[in-house]
Amino acid sequence: MSSQVYFDDIAVGQEIPSLTKNVNTVNILMYCAVVWLMDRIHFDNPFAVKRRGLPDVVAPGNMAPDYYVQLLTGWAGDKGRLKKLGVQFRNFMVPGNVLTCGGRITAKTVEDGKGRVDLELWIKNQDGVVCVPGKGVVELPIRAG
Amino acid sequence: MGSLLEELGWRAFIGHEYPAHTGEPVLARDIRRYALAIDDDNPIFFDEAAAKAGRYKGLTAPLNYISWSVGVPGAEKATKDLGEDGLSSFVGIPDIPNAFSLGWVRGGEELEFVKPIYVNDRVTVCGRVTNMSEKIGKSGTLIFVTSEFTYTNQNDELLAKHTVTMIASPRKEQAQ
Repeated sequence: MSSQVYFDDIAVGQEIPSLTKNVNTVNILMYCAVVWLMDRIHFDNPFAVKRRGLPDVVAPGNMAPDYYVQLLTGWAGDKGRLKKLGVQFRNFMVPGNVLTCGGRITAKTVEDGKGRVDLELWIKNQDGVVCVPGKGVVELPIRAG
Repeated sequence: MGSLLEELGWRAFIGHEYPAHTGEPVLARDIRRYALAIDDDNPIFFDEAAAKAGRYKGLTAPLNYISWSVGVPGAEKATKDLGEDGLSSFVGIPDIPNAFSLGWVRGGEELEFVKPIYVNDRVTVCGRVTNMSEKIGKSGTLIFVTSEFTYTNQNDELLAKHTVTMIASPRKEQAQ
């Protein structure tokens, strides 16, 4: 179990520990199969490249919020909560990408006795291209004092 | 250049409600497979005891599973009834004319997480189109369609709110 981060111990401007995700066709297939997503651009390379002009098959954009959920719930710990998440789909995530999912604290406020932390978020590929920028709101516990 | 939104007659669909849809009970197997697909090894998705040792009353799903937990209405069709792109139909605004004459991509979304999803939950989604706008750029017209959805469980508890913006533009199909 990771150690709990507290509202008292964080500061605006800090980056949170990043998460690395590897995009590959097996994970894309698993995702499409479990949610019944049959759009050929996710698994049919000739269709994706020749018919849709894409660089390769592309990961479902919806996997990006999942990466952010993992990043932020992992950071918030057992006593914290992910409250809100916003994403914008800018660039495709394709097999072979090594994605860095990260975030920086942009604001911290106390709301109804609870610690609210606002973050700006990014998913960057190995070339530094931001594929899916985002924003998040996390609730962190305040030390009893 | 005139308004594509006007030409398509879509403005009348602002405020249009999606039919409410209730999914089948959420399966432990689907949660597990979903967590494997996104490579999230948090034990609360795999091990009931671990979930209960935390703040959960049983196996829960990754938060972003919420929109999939109701299934995709109309998506389950025989292969012969699928389009060549693998899609069953435009899974979107019911009755909207000529939706498939344009290409659609997901622009962005916002999620607000209220309560967890549990195994055996039956999740209901309700939604409506809240806005449409268009932008004429270098590569042609883009139409932005924003919809808001709420997800509730079988006890009428709010689980999440979800705002999705889809972007539609005239197709630029490549030659075969």
